[in-house]
Amino acid sequence: MKLLRVDMNQSRVWWEPVSPVYEHLGGRALIAKLLLEEVPPTCEPLGPLNKLIFTPGLLGGCSVTAAGRLSVGGKSPLTKGVKEANAGGTAGDTLGKLGIKAVVIEGLAPQGSWSILHIHNDSAEILPAGDAQGLGTYATSDRLQEHYGAASTVISIGQAGEMRMGGAGICVTGEGGQRSNHAARGGLGAVMGSKGLKAVVIDKPVGMIVPLADSDLFRAAARSFAQKIINDPKLGTQGSQHLYGTASIVAAVNEMGSLPTRNFSNGKFEGAETLRGEYLREVTLSRGGEAGTRCMPGCVIACRNVYVDASSKPIVGTLQFETIALLGSNLGLGNLDEVAQLNRMCNDFGLDTIETGAALGVALEAGLGEFGDFESIQKLLAQVGEGTVLGRLIGSGAVVTGKVLGIKRIPAAVGQGMPGYDPRSLKGNGVTYATSPQGADHTAGNAFGARKEVNPLGIQGQKELSLRLQIIAAMLDSTGLCLFARPPIIANPQLMVDMLNGRYGWGWTTEDYDRSNRDVLRMELEFNQRAGLTAADYRIPEFMCEEPLPPHNVTFDVPDSDLDSVFDTL
Amino acid sequence: MNISVELFGQLSPSSPRRQILDLAPTATVQDAADLLGLSPDEIGIVTIDGVQSELQDSLSPDCRLCFFPYLSGG
Repeated sequence: MKLLRVDMNQSRVWWEPVSPVYEHLGGRALIAKLLLEEVPPTCEPLGPLNKLIFTPGLLGGCSVTAAGRLSVGGKSPLTKGVKEANAGGTAGDTLGKLGIKAVVIEGLAPQGSWSILHIHNDSAEILPAGDAQGLGTYATSDRLQEHYGAASTVISIGQAGEMRMGGAGICVTGEGGQRSNHAARGGLGAVMGSKGLKAVVIDKPVGMIVPLADSDLFRAAARSFAQKIINDPKLGTQGSQHLYGTASIVAAVNEMGSLPTRNFSNGKFEGAETLRGEYLREVTLSRGGEAGTRCMPGCVIACRNVYVDASSKPIVGTLQFETIALLGSNLGLGNLDEVAQLNRMCNDFGLDTIETGAALGVALEAGLGEFGDFESIQKLLAQVGEGTVLGRLIGSGAVVTGKVLGIKRIPAAVGQGMPGYDPRSLKGNGVTYATSPQGADHTAGNAFGARKEVNPLGIQGQKELSLRLQIIAAMLDSTGLCLFARPPIIANPQLMVDMLNGRYGWGWTTEDYDRSNRDVLRMELEFNQRAGLTAADYRIPEFMCEEPLPPHNVTFDVPDSDLDSVFDTL
Repeated sequence: MNISVELFGQLSPSSPRRQILDLAPTATVQDAADLLGLSPDEIGIVTIDGVQSELQDSLSPDCRLCFFPYLSGG
């Protein structure tokens, strides 16, 4: 495998063999190591010393189901620490097939210069972005696929990334004209924008097969893995994930009193009935939309939907739980059509719907609009794309919005807006939000559904649960696996070990595998420590520790000593 | 005692989504599930008045009991 280096300052690309230091790493693990080795931890996230990394997981390109995610990483302008965000689509699979372990973007282009990186098999070149500059992600993807072919993969930023807003994410295209896969979190779109890189285009590889060290071992494990997902009651064709998508959990999270409502002032939303996954499916199918489709080649879970309007015109695909929570209930909206329209605007501007929903909630609390009033919210969001001062404020995320507007109730941890589970009534997620080196990120260790182990309203066992989940998440993000594909690997880690040994011939044991997963967190924590993050950064906001959350009237009361000792047994 | 029940996701096609059940005062979640014809294998999450619960937990008069299929957060 090889590394593609891109120097935006010199407009130069070159290939490197993979250093032995990076050989056993992919995705999130590789990002952590590259940052530790090559990026000064105290550097300015939007400055020349930060690097933007695109990398498939260790199983990218191998045709393992649900293992084609693209990891994007760098130092985050939001958390000021390490960041990895990943997306579906075809980029992870394509880079894996091309034998590209990572694309590392370095330096800054001259001010006002916008470029596209074009990768075709073993060649790469930097080209002027031309009239793609200034476009949203939909138009950018359309234009570049018209030029490079519909089968090419386009990774792009919208206006938010170009304006270097902290809430900016990165969009990745997928099969069949898909536009809505986003490596959304942590402001990595702003890092891409800071480098003057509007898009990366990767031509579809033809006839390229990933070499396998032991094809029998690999294929047996990959087949078994896929079959176990198909047989899983959550994930198979009769499972909630496939039928209702990630929105399958809206009703349960609401019932448990953890659904962010009106800037995290309540855990139960009276309008949740029409935000549920069951309702989403009913509306989608009755209008001629799609449910149960896939965001990555070969995924057997297929939890994606295409939400359409009353005239069957697609609004957005896919409409997901986190978006429904942050742009729906958190803004007092119970109408999926309205949430879908806000979702599309975010996607087009290249904004993280979680960060933006959290920022909008703060803005509404400050009186810049009204909870439940779609028009006032839509007008606020439109300003992000227009680049007005207010729009740039909201696009910069929840913390900046709250600070400028003088709002104390900012739902964020480690600088990053909170996802769709209020940590007061799902305390395991609160521990993850507060302690993960990734900041408030549910994908770093989601405790939802772990009821048989730990009471979500209690404090006992939460730190141990969070650590266990964070280690699992590190594995998923480093191999390219979708987090929904975790059950078979948790039940039998040997499956993953066999796939890795079959692919690379490493001769790993489950102990090696466990150590490598823990090492990801160790490297990330070390980077953040060197970057200057302290215990004071790894906290849940004070208002959540003081203000009881209805309906259970609970605060976040996991003691600081527990938060500070989560990684003692790492 | 009467309790209100709501079924979600794939569990609702087999029974009306919302029901009032008349159960013995000592009834548990399992008793309600049996009455509804729900197999433990298809029940992922249970809540009583919004609090996550288990099949052996006791019910109280006028409580709200919700059954969810297996769900995955993410």
